[in-house]
Amino acid sequence: MSVALDRSLAHGVGHVADPDAAPVVSLRGITKIFPGLIANDAVDFDIRAGEIHALLGENGAGKSTLMNVLTGIYQPDAGQILLDGQPTRFVSPAQAIGAGIGMIHQHFKLIQAFTVAENIHLGWGETPVLISAKDIEDRTRILAEKFNLAVRPEARIDEISAGEQQRVEILKVLARGARILILDEPTAVLTPPEARELFKALRQFRAAGNSVVFISHKLDEVLAISDRITILRAGKKVALREAAGCTPSILANLMVGRDVVLHHARPASPHQANPGDPPPMVLQDVSALNDRGLPALTGIELELRAGEILGIAGVAGNGQRELSEVLTGVRPLQGGDIVIAGYRVPSSNPAMFRDAGIGHIPEDRLRSGLAPSLSIIDNAVLREYVIPPVARGHFIDHGSAAALAKRIAKDAEVGIPSFQMPVRNLSGGNQQRLVARREMRIAKSVLVAAYPTRGLDVGAINTMIDYLVALRDSGVAVVMFSEELEELLNLADRIAVLYEGRIMGIFNAKGADMEEIGLLMGGKTKHGERVA
Amino acid sequence: MFDLKNPSRRKFLTMAGTAAGASLLGNTGLVVPSAYGAGALGAVKEEDAVIAFGHVGPISDEGWTSTHHDGLVAVKAAFPKAKYLEIETIPYSADATRTFRQFVAENATLIFSSSEYGDLLAEVSNRAPKVAFMECNGHRVADNFSWYYVKHWMPTYVIGVAAGLMSKTGKLGYVASFPVPSVFTSVNAFQMGAKSVNPKATTQVISINSWFDPQGASQAGTALLDNGADFLFGIMDEAAYLQVAEKRGIPAAMWNTDVRRYGPKSYVTSCVVDWRKFYVEQTRKRLAGTWTGNEQILLPLGEGVDRDAWGESVPENVRQTADAVRTKMLKDGFNPFAGEIKDSAGKVKIAAGEKMDDMALYNWNWAVEGVTGLAT
Amino acid sequence: MAFRLQRLPSVRPEIAVAAHAVAIGLAFVVGGIAVTISGHNAFTLAAKVLTASFGSEFGLEDFGLLFGPLMLTGLAAAVTLRIGLWNIGAEGQFYIGAVFATGVGLFFSGPPWLMLTAMFLAGGIGGALWILVPTLARAYANVNEIITTLLLNFVAVLVVNYLSTGLWRDRKQSVLGATARIPYEVPNLSGSLHAGILVAVAAVVLMALLIRYTRWGYEVRISGANIFAAHYAGIPVRSRLISVMLISGAIAGIAGMLEVAGTVHRLQGGISNNFGYLGIIVAVLAGGSPIGVVFSGFVMAVILNAGIILQAQGILLNDVLAMTGLILFFTAIGEQVAHYRIVATHVVAQEA
Ligand SMILES: Nc1ncnc2c1ncn2[C@@H]1O[C@H](COP(=O)(O)OP(=O)(O)OP(=O)(O)O)[C@@H](O)[C@H]1O
Ligand SMILES: [Mg+2]
Repeated sequence: MSVALDRSLAHGVGHVADPDAAPVVSLRGITKIFPGLIANDAVDFDIRAGEIHALLGENGAGKSTLMNVLTGIYQPDAGQILLDGQPTRFVSPAQAIGAGIGMIHQHFKLIQAFTVAENIHLGWGETPVLISAKDIEDRTRILAEKFNLAVRPEARIDEISAGEQQRVEILKVLARGARILILDEPTAVLTPPEARELFKALRQFRAAGNSVVFISHKLDEVLAISDRITILRAGKKVALREAAGCTPSILANLMVGRDVVLHHARPASPHQANPGDPPPMVLQDVSALNDRGLPALTGIELELRAGEILGIAGVAGNGQRELSEVLTGVRPLQGGDIVIAGYRVPSSNPAMFRDAGIGHIPEDRLRSGLAPSLSIIDNAVLREYVIPPVARGHFIDHGSAAALAKRIAKDAEVGIPSFQMPVRNLSGGNQQRLVARREMRIAKSVLVAAYPTRGLDVGAINTMIDYLVALRDSGVAVVMFSEELEELLNLADRIAVLYEGRIMGIFNAKGADMEEIGLLMGGKTKHGERVA
Repeated sequence: MFDLKNPSRRKFLTMAGTAAGASLLGNTGLVVPSAYGAGALGAVKEEDAVIAFGHVGPISDEGWTSTHHDGLVAVKAAFPKAKYLEIETIPYSADATRTFRQFVAENATLIFSSSEYGDLLAEVSNRAPKVAFMECNGHRVADNFSWYYVKHWMPTYVIGVAAGLMSKTGKLGYVASFPVPSVFTSVNAFQMGAKSVNPKATTQVISINSWFDPQGASQAGTALLDNGADFLFGIMDEAAYLQVAEKRGIPAAMWNTDVRRYGPKSYVTSCVVDWRKFYVEQTRKRLAGTWTGNEQILLPLGEGVDRDAWGESVPENVRQTADAVRTKMLKDGFNPFAGEIKDSAGKVKIAAGEKMDDMALYNWNWAVEGVTGLAT
Repeated sequence: MAFRLQRLPSVRPEIAVAAHAVAIGLAFVVGGIAVTISGHNAFTLAAKVLTASFGSEFGLEDFGLLFGPLMLTGLAAAVTLRIGLWNIGAEGQFYIGAVFATGVGLFFSGPPWLMLTAMFLAGGIGGALWILVPTLARAYANVNEIITTLLLNFVAVLVVNYLSTGLWRDRKQSVLGATARIPYEVPNLSGSLHAGILVAVAAVVLMALLIRYTRWGYEVRISGANIFAAHYAGIPVRSRLISVMLISGAIAGIAGMLEVAGTVHRLQGGISNNFGYLGIIVAVLAGGSPIGVVFSGFVMAVILNAGIILQAQGILLNDVLAMTGLILFFTAIGEQVAHYRIVATHVVAQEA
């Protein structure tokens, strides 16, 4: 793709970047080869001063890899990186940040047991050798003000929300003087208001003449924030477009290479529950604590119904993680009861829930759904190693295990060069697809899906939703957590609103009052009162 | 039924497997059998001889090991054309077996082990019948194996006499290694010497489970002094507790060598040992082909073991009284280890009129009356 | 143009092996220079080490007597690494295994095969008991196992000293407290090389098979790689943790039993030869893999054996220890170095 052509296209569009200025960074013909796979194939990519440049592509298209090459995590097998016109090569992210290029990864890399201030000052040349906790907290406060990012310096990372963690990551690179900020799927873990805050900060950053590379699967968001859009498909760059004049369907078609239907109406469940059957799962007055031992859920009354999708709406951090874990036996109850198909569960035990046909797509796949350093096969059989054919008595049949992994990868439409490779080498979206397929296989009666479309590309989201619907139609009770009310209204049969660990109300999706649900998510009723 | 207190009396079962397990590797022909020493135990030319010394401690300890190293130096001076091997700090583990085997592999003619390695050494000597072994403080003999030691109880008794005279309280302290015969004999001789001049003398013993542990010895010395002792003795390969005594202004007697510079005021004397003459003699015999195994050699007072010259602060009357005992031993063959002797529980072990002979003294394994802290 | 080191996220196995080989080679070069400076001929010494270790019956036996216990204690440390835990207490478990085996051997009698089996089991039980408290503390109260297992080593040494110089003392030995000779001996294969080495090889192979081919092994691997995922998947993490720790203790205890019943024949202080601590190094060099323990145990045995041979050649103990330390140091960093490669760079950032 010729750069001249793109410049002419850019003519007349009112963004800050000067199209004639030389790009600050220019990747030329970048090729990155992994065993059995070309992740980037002669990719050209420019970043101009004062622009937000989006990078789009299906799962596994090579977006993260390309940015990892730019920031020195990987070395390219071919191609050149020009920084301000000078050929450059970074051998470590630290060196890239030294040159003003900072990256926020798909999976955060903060140290959980450290405070915000400590994380920001860790491995930073400007941190004085001897410094008190108070001093680094003060320094962090000053930085936070300077860059207009609200963080609490003294809080430990494992105590703060995903949105705040992301602000810490951003502050960390901005503090180190980044003028080019790379964000890999930053909004996947953010609530809509947090995303709006982020966009505000990014626009400010751009206004100061800096640049942003923005990776996302949310096309609306991409169109709203970016100036230009580069699209990768199977490792190759297929298009570079001005955002103005693009539509979601144009982008989707470019990514996939054929027409895609972005939304289709889904008929309601044809499944008719047998009235004599007990519900697959009932929660009675359930309460539970969070990881820090504080109350996270109180008085939860919930009945799952076979052949129904129950949407759980709510702003992240209101007990979603705990509820999904309670539903799958991972988190012990503090009080109340769980009744599975008419049987009261004596104590929570994930193995028992698994055996009862309850699948679980966790909200944080790398932390709780996968063993990143182990092979794809080991991870694929995580739920079925106890049953034949993978289990043969006390032994594992490696042949069947490999066959099962292949089967899951095929169903999930993930191409895998080697099943022995650690699962962490898969792209973020492909990991998510594998986990989802794996869990759907065992979900004979209930599937608990926490943000199942997180990190998936547009096509994969459709496929995922089709599968959830198919599961429902076959009589499985699906519980779906999502922050996107529209998605829930479109998909769910009933919607429960979760606020501060309580169910605020349960509604039939058909004819639900969106405004009322929105208010309940914020802890308010329609009449403006706060609910206790 | 089994006997908890005395397992050594148990019937010794021989393993059929041991005999059956004949050299598997040796039979493959892949391995060159090691040379089991240079020729028969006949004469050896000086230039063909390999004399090996294995020590338990570092030769720089200025104590037990350095006295043996001095012996090696003397042998080297006498037979400069022979080859010498010396390894220090050999642990009491299977590493000892490996180390002595390495001497054999190096064609050693005569091997001195300056401490008792017991089975670990027997393991080697049994399979090297043409190499001569001498084990200091050993207990077994064979055609290629003798042991040697000193009658340290004689000078120790003399030191005990001095201690009994110098102690005001009669409370004596003893820094011991392990509750083994050398220690029993030493403690008992010391206590009996003291008691012969000071009826209220008692000896408190602390064992530190090591022969060379300066820090442990200092701690034990301090503890003994804190407990009221006003004279220290012990059986350590180094001089740590002397420094403790010097700091506290308490007299102390030592073992092995003259270490008075570590505590000139406190230093009373030492049970000094000297192997030079003995080692030269044994080596000469080995070269001449007259060395024999099956020997049990105890060097007497004045020939390899003695008290050291008295320290500066030892009063004249103490010197005279103690030396009178020593002279009596040398001139009249005085054996102070005569009944009646009671053990620390008050039971008569040696009846009046009976005398303990050298072997009984060498293998002494109970503490005499007045000794505390030494398990019997 | 400049040259920089770059850290790679993962290492190909052949590179890792090569890095280890280069590291060991380098350590030998440095060691060689050191002995040359101290006035010896490095090449004759090297030749000596090789012929003395592998060219003579004694050398091979000695080598085998080191290799066996190192494989076992290495395996003991390696299995806990698989579940993400550290057993620093193999030294203590080794001693207590020896104590239990000695107790059985001294105070009971029966046909040798029966007695040896009983001693073997007693050794394993002793080792497992010695790690029991750290295991339960870890499993139920999340108490760090590194500290508890380490501290129990010192207690174990005291127990051995107490028994060998006190209650079970043989009154004949002169210089060191030791029990009577245990009348049951592990059969010898060749000279004094006893069958313990076969037990060690069998244990390594068995453990490798267990970890790779059983559900238990799979659960252990998942628990070690990501404890949250293991819990999520319904793996009984706590009971796997307990079983792994107890097995580790039992292996170390069996090593102690074999040492006392096969090599030393008496319980006395110091018989562990630091095998428990060396086993940690063996396990780390092996990357926690049971089969890897065979190779790193082999290297360690060569190094230790060479140490003794060198002393007989007149190299002082301290120099030998320095060289042994050097080799271990090089092999350990070799592992890390394999993660890096050198790349040529233009450093624009520094020009700006
Ligand atoms: N270290 C690695 N070893 C082997 N293959 C890898 C490695 N890293 C990435 N890959 C492969 O390269 C391809 C591109 O991965 P990448 O992470 O760049 O995708 P992506 O475009 O970011 O996808 P997603 O939207 O799912 O995050 C994938 O097929 C992935 O499996
Ligand atoms: Mg990605």
